[in-house]
Amino acid sequence: MNKPAADNSIRITDRPLFYWILRRHRSMQLILLLVIVVSLFFKVFPLEMQKRIINEAINLKDTQLLFLYCGLYIGAVTIAGLMKYAINVLQVFIGQKILIEMRKELYQHVLQLPLQFYRKMQPGTVVSAMTAELNAIGFFLGGALAIPITSILTFLVFIGFMFNLNPTLALLSMGMYPIEIFVVPYLQRKYNKLNTERVQTTRSMANVVNESISGIHEIHGNASYGLEEEKLTSYIRQLFDLVKRLFIVKYGIKFANNVFQSFGPFILFIVGGYLAIHGQFTLGALVAFLSAYEKVYDPWKELIEYYQSYQDAQIRYRQIMKIFDLDPPHPLLPAGREAFEMQGDISLKNVTFTVPSGVRLLEDINLEIRAREQVALVGSSGSGKSTLALLISQLYDANRGTIELDNHPINELSKRDMGCSVAMIAQHPFIFSGTIYDNLIYGVQAVAAEKPLPDRAQLISVIRQVGLQDDIIRFGLQAVLSFEECKPFRNKFLRMRQIIQTSLRDEFEPAIEFYDASSYLYYSNIRDNIIFGDSLNKEFTVSNLPDHPRFMELLAEMDLEKPLLTLGFALASQTVTLLADFQDDEFFFRDNPMEVNEFSTYSTLLEKISGPQTRDKEARSLLLTLALRFIPRKHSILSLPSAMEKKILAMRHRFQEKIVYIDMDHCKEHGTYTPCNKETRCGKMSAFVPFCPSEYMYTRTLLDNILFGAVKSEKLLDERLRNLATQAFQDEKLLDEIMEIGLDFEVGSKGDRLSGGQKQKLAIARAFLKDASILIMDEVTANLDNTSQARIQNILETDFKGRKTVIAVIHRLDLTPAYDRIIVLKAGRIVEQGTYDELMARKGDFYALTKAES
Amino acid sequence: MHLPKQSPDELHPMNQFTDFQEFLNRLPVFSGARAGVVKLFAYLAKQEEYTKGQLIISEGGLCDRFFLILSGKVEIFQFHKERRFHLQLLSEDTINHFGELALLSEFNWFFSARAWTDVVLLSISREAFTKVMERYPESYQAMVRKIINLRINRFIDQSSYLLDHISPEAWREDPEDE
Repeated sequence: MNKPAADNSIRITDRPLFYWILRRHRSMQLILLLVIVVSLFFKVFPLEMQKRIINEAINLKDTQLLFLYCGLYIGAVTIAGLMKYAINVLQVFIGQKILIEMRKELYQHVLQLPLQFYRKMQPGTVVSAMTAELNAIGFFLGGALAIPITSILTFLVFIGFMFNLNPTLALLSMGMYPIEIFVVPYLQRKYNKLNTERVQTTRSMANVVNESISGIHEIHGNASYGLEEEKLTSYIRQLFDLVKRLFIVKYGIKFANNVFQSFGPFILFIVGGYLAIHGQFTLGALVAFLSAYEKVYDPWKELIEYYQSYQDAQIRYRQIMKIFDLDPPHPLLPAGREAFEMQGDISLKNVTFTVPSGVRLLEDINLEIRAREQVALVGSSGSGKSTLALLISQLYDANRGTIELDNHPINELSKRDMGCSVAMIAQHPFIFSGTIYDNLIYGVQAVAAEKPLPDRAQLISVIRQVGLQDDIIRFGLQAVLSFEECKPFRNKFLRMRQIIQTSLRDEFEPAIEFYDASSYLYYSNIRDNIIFGDSLNKEFTVSNLPDHPRFMELLAEMDLEKPLLTLGFALASQTVTLLADFQDDEFFFRDNPMEVNEFSTYSTLLEKISGPQTRDKEARSLLLTLALRFIPRKHSILSLPSAMEKKILAMRHRFQEKIVYIDMDHCKEHGTYTPCNKETRCGKMSAFVPFCPSEYMYTRTLLDNILFGAVKSEKLLDERLRNLATQAFQDEKLLDEIMEIGLDFEVGSKGDRLSGGQKQKLAIARAFLKDASILIMDEVTANLDNTSQARIQNILETDFKGRKTVIAVIHRLDLTPAYDRIIVLKAGRIVEQGTYDELMARKGDFYALTKAES
Repeated sequence: MHLPKQSPDELHPMNQFTDFQEFLNRLPVFSGARAGVVKLFAYLAKQEEYTKGQLIISEGGLCDRFFLILSGKVEIFQFHKERRFHLQLLSEDTINHFGELALLSEFNWFFSARAWTDVVLLSISREAFTKVMERYPESYQAMVRKIINLRINRFIDQSSYLLDHISPEAWREDPEDE
């Protein structure tokens, strides 16, 4: 069992709803109660004032008294309002606090449930139970105690006040309430029943949607839209039917309440009026009585609403808890001891594993694995080799027999014991969203209490071991670093730039067109050619430029606006004509300034305008955008005349001079630019960084900064970088820094931004970092290329030899000779075991498998 | 800074890919192909520039594109038993293409190409070729036939060159004549 916290002695799914309310945040609930009690006085006090205003002040025609009572009245009403405000805030606060705890504890419980639970359970059900349905309960929780207490007390106080005024009248006007006590709960029970059905139907509907999204490939592939729609439609219909009935009952309750509410004043006016006419009741008392009667209804209504939401929350709560009503199979922490530091002896005796459907996957397995022994589990698919690995890693539990690790029965070991001593790599490992680093340390972090987090050197060494370094370097080079992040490395990167610009220039020249303040750049777009730098505040991005007044003024002044509009128009019309039949394929847009999703915008635009010199502002902006994106050598659909290049160069100089106040001549001569020279204003444009050899470009990637130019050929660059720059990086001691930056690469949801091989290597590195004494690998290298596979195999044979117990499920039999022992499984039983040579000599099942493979 | 005013025509963008299209139209491999196909190839072709002596492709590298010579000369050579054998000198006005098989299949280059002079090339990638052929499947067969013919022509040219330079030991009488 899970180690119980003092407060949580009952299993979470067995706790009633009020368990949470009565045991959590009691002091805050007490404060709430106090505020409520005090606020009651300020609710009744205005009624007394009403009576006195009429009976005393008005009757005696005493203005002084009138002002006093009115002042007291408004004072009390304001205080009551403020207190109500405080009560509401406190209530939500307490509710959310309890909800946080409830959700955290439930999530912890849910995560520990056995894998079999998740085989049966739709993720949609778990997700909606943990989110939307718990939220609905949260709203109830805060007021769970306060609302009934407030309502009952308020109700009693007002009734007391009414009895004090006139007992007979009070008794009469209360006459309707007992009837209501029977009618409303009856309707409420009906409502509850329908509501339960609604929750279930909504959940089933969510599952249908969830399933079709997961299987969207299959749906598109089979064009089974109709089928899926039908599945959902039946639930939609059911839901409509339920909701319809639900609301009939709900508003029935409302109607009943309204009717009862209207009967009260009727009795009051008839009896109270009669008594007032006959002088047995003062007018002031009648007004106060009427107010009290009206007020007494509020707490009553609140009580009824509370009852409804209580029932609702109760149903939701019970249903949530029912889903997760299972015991986690293993305790989280060892009871009263440190986690075991295991050697890695594994022993299985008569182990049998059967899935719930009755199929026996493993039968009567007897196996002894010595500490630091490396064994391979082989067999045809379905032989049970992966299941055996899962049983040893405590991910499945045997139905019969015993498994012991270092003589400790595995079912008595806590998850922490397993986490410290066993590292498991799955065939299709899961990569979490977050950075490479987050994923690498995931396993170690989980047992951080027992093991220190790996330092940088360890991380980098493991990355090298599994052959992930090239990828990490590439990620690092693609990073865009902020001023702060870049600070420690800035000078080293600039030094690297200098090396490429000078001693490696000849090597890189064919691959890179270096930035040169006085030349036109054929591999950069027109925007870069003009702006020749970046603004940290994104002032001069392609999308912002058409709306930049000073830039546009300068463009017109330099006679460049018309030619650029002409270029944009030519680009748009050429592309629209050429690619009209290909707008569904991104491939055809790779070397075009227009993006595939913009095709329809531009095609509509061309229908609207007759030529490039349109007056339509939006059209001009669209054409200009296309022109500014144009890269002559990449977008071979058009070419620029040299006169245009000269004009653009002139514009670049004018832009530097007039808009960003940069002295490029200084940059050319001295390698540094002076942001504010002579007569120019300082400071204002400091966010602008030009392409100047001494300046780090914070809006560009690390690679852009090192190369300091536009890429002419990715292929050549790749070769150059690999051969030369890596060495130069090493000489400059930059490689580790770049790798460290690469570790911060965001892998995307489920590691979507990584290739299959990268994910697999990352998972292997994650397990290696744990440095556990037992390593279990389930066909981990199956999806890797031969070189990577050999690399991993080599680590097992050298670094891990005599250090770790290794259990490897292996499909490729040519890898098996390296193992100390090969265990051959067939239909859930061990049929052979021994070294590679022994098994080959025996010419039994293993021999047959190798023959089948070759 | 004051520049002389240009006439509007001087600033008008030029249709580079129509030039490419004309060039492609003159090639035997595209002769008779549909205008749409040639136009697309002209659009998807890339211009590449190499300076004298620069390696364009090297033996053993992964092939991915077909080259056409717009200007300059390209030397084709091959290593055999660690000796470098010159096979062909291509220029814009003779056989002006190489690597045509890359359009059809993935393999490692079995020869190298070097810029003999400064050269300007036009390349068409296998990916582009496949994409275009997917859209015009009816042209595929004719294209394949022409690519094979190109290869045969080159083979004949290279064989003649080698036979001209073959060592006397390699020469054998036809056994029938003996």
